[in-house]
Amino acid sequence: MAVTIKEISGAEIDGLIATGKVLVDFYSKTCGPCKMLGFVLKDIAKGIDGLEIALLDYDANKETVEKFGVTGYPTLIFFNDGQEVERMKGLQQKPVILRMIGA
Amino acid sequence: MTVKVKYFDHVITEQLRAEEAFLAEYRKAGYSFAKPYVKLNPYLIAPLTAIIIFQTAQPTTVAITVKGKEAAGDIKFQFAAATEHMIPVYGLYADYSNQVELVLANGEKSVVTIQTEPAPEKVKLPTKMTTTPEYFGDNMMFVGPTSPALAAAYDYRGDCRWYGTLNHAFDIKRAKNGRLLLGTQRLLMPPYHTTGIYEMGMIGKIYKEFRLPGGYHHDQFEMEDGNLLILTQDPPRGTVEDMLVLVDRKTGAILKTWDYQQVLPQNVGGSGSQDSHDWFHNNAVWYDKKTDSLTLSGRHQDAIINIDYDSGKLNWIIGDPGNWPQELVDKYFFKPVGKGDFDWQYEQHACLVCPDGDIMCFDNGHWRSKFKEKYVPAKDNFSRGVRYRIDTEKMEIEQVWQYGKERGAEFFSTYICNVEYYDEGHYMVHSGGIGTFKGETCNKPPVQFRGDDEKHVVFNSITVELKDDAVVYEMHLPANYYRAEKLKLYCAEDTLTLGRGEMLGSLGVTEEFLTIPPTEDGGMVPEKYNVKFGIEEDRILFKATFEKGQMVLLQLEGATTHSYFVPTTKRPFLAMCVGTFQESDERAVEFPVGKEGLAGEFKLSVIVDDYKYETGVTVKI
Repeated sequence: MAVTIKEISGAEIDGLIATGKVLVDFYSKTCGPCKMLGFVLKDIAKGIDGLEIALLDYDANKETVEKFGVTGYPTLIFFNDGQEVERMKGLQQKPVILRMIGA
Repeated sequence: MTVKVKYFDHVITEQLRAEEAFLAEYRKAGYSFAKPYVKLNPYLIAPLTAIIIFQTAQPTTVAITVKGKEAAGDIKFQFAAATEHMIPVYGLYADYSNQVELVLANGEKSVVTIQTEPAPEKVKLPTKMTTTPEYFGDNMMFVGPTSPALAAAYDYRGDCRWYGTLNHAFDIKRAKNGRLLLGTQRLLMPPYHTTGIYEMGMIGKIYKEFRLPGGYHHDQFEMEDGNLLILTQDPPRGTVEDMLVLVDRKTGAILKTWDYQQVLPQNVGGSGSQDSHDWFHNNAVWYDKKTDSLTLSGRHQDAIINIDYDSGKLNWIIGDPGNWPQELVDKYFFKPVGKGDFDWQYEQHACLVCPDGDIMCFDNGHWRSKFKEKYVPAKDNFSRGVRYRIDTEKMEIEQVWQYGKERGAEFFSTYICNVEYYDEGHYMVHSGGIGTFKGETCNKPPVQFRGDDEKHVVFNSITVELKDDAVVYEMHLPANYYRAEKLKLYCAEDTLTLGRGEMLGSLGVTEEFLTIPPTEDGGMVPEKYNVKFGIEEDRILFKATFEKGQMVLLQLEGATTHSYFVPTTKRPFLAMCVGTFQESDERAVEFPVGKEGLAGEFKLSVIVDDYKYETGVTVKI
């Protein structure tokens, strides 16, 4: 029981979120909380399944960032079959994210 | 390298030691009314105060006159009959040979000379003062700084007659027991949230610190029973300035909490300064007994809201309804009526309820629109004190008074400020956040300019009092001041009580981070991080210098291990209401860990990105 975290580009996001449960982390390489959140997501990924976790570089995908109305990093958006279910801004602890994704 | 560790006593402990020392000094020698014991600045933080101690054989009243530089500047007070006399002296001038006259009931007189030190540069002097001693009497205008300056009080001439040396933030109010309620100088989290409220005598003695887990910001209000309404937040949930608590005056315990997230949507009606972190920016609270309700100012929704005290249910909203959902507009917003001039308030401060139910506030007017394309630049804008009459049955609002619009940009403050209601037609309007950058009126709080830009900022603060629309007082100070508060130095209820002050309430248990990243052993922490620890009675302060974006965790390792995420990415604070806590080095990080919930001996280490470093510091809790 584990999932792989993958880095995606803005061009891939629509296809990825279209079906199933997907958690997207809009992150920046220049942000301490983003680095920490990366470790939290890795920890979460070890113990779940039935969910995709994707990382999207905020600075390299400005168009996508704007399209999804993301105003800061890190921002987590949880999608189910293409629909946004919930979003959280800032560094989050593991139990909070587990609650968000219903794990 | 050796990591620096400094142990700090709480100011309450330092003051107890100072008090014991001056009492011992007094008892050692034979002081008398003719030659009394005099101690300048007895409680260490109010240099223009003193205490005079002596005994008399028979109980007698003592009349004190702190002589002014001219007769109108004399400050007089009479103390009740006693044989042991501990006479607080207020209203001394800095860098001056002050004459203090004491007269007993039998007419016997003694004159004491008290020489004071020059005031530090941070005690600003007025650049303009217009009033008369007949109007202002022995009142003082107290101001608390938001730019580099100190809290101070000025008389009718503009002479400074009191100042405090602690970095007090936000409002200074007098409680019914005569003491001052003001924010502590102990930073809990950037940019200005401190541990709580001090209850302090005018002499500078701190009798109580009311500590809160979420800290204090902006405002406090004393209820009829003495309990305190204090503005706070719940930091772990990632938002600020959106909670209010009622605090027990005797114990410091939180008795009731109001959470505005349960009352308002967070993503509507935003002002030009709103972000998701500081979505409401509550900067004032007022309890109204007649309606048993709380009136709250939310700068970042351009809204003054009123909620029921018991249920917390929303009653009404004063504000421009633009960008609010129609169902909320229909239910809670007012419709302007009347033939006179009417403007909504924007990014307002210091709401209050007048005795007849009218609502007053300081309308900063920052942005002055709900729509970005209509934002008004500072140079064309205005700030003012405003009074609205509201009809909560018909949901109608009328502007019945304002002062400031006619002064235009010279009176414009993007942030802070207050109004005071003294009586019908008698008000104070304090525009304390004025600033220019390179000669242009600031479009953002002047304290937000950093680095080289700071040199091009000119601060100003204008405090005006009006009686029937005539200006009867105007003071200009070359700094920014959160609020102004007119008080007398002497107050019969503010009696000096000996003994240790109390630290009440709780800072709570600091939130630990549950995920620990993999690291390599980095040995001793490199000098470049400039790591220091300050050990306070109730907290461990971690100070260091990191580059933006570094990932940092502080660890306390003992029988149990505790890890804390230390933010290094500076949030662009859109409402830097108090800039006095800002470090000159923007990379500087200060992070407090409360001692509550910790016991034993702990080794302190730091994780920076991929490495874990030793600090060589061990603390016992």
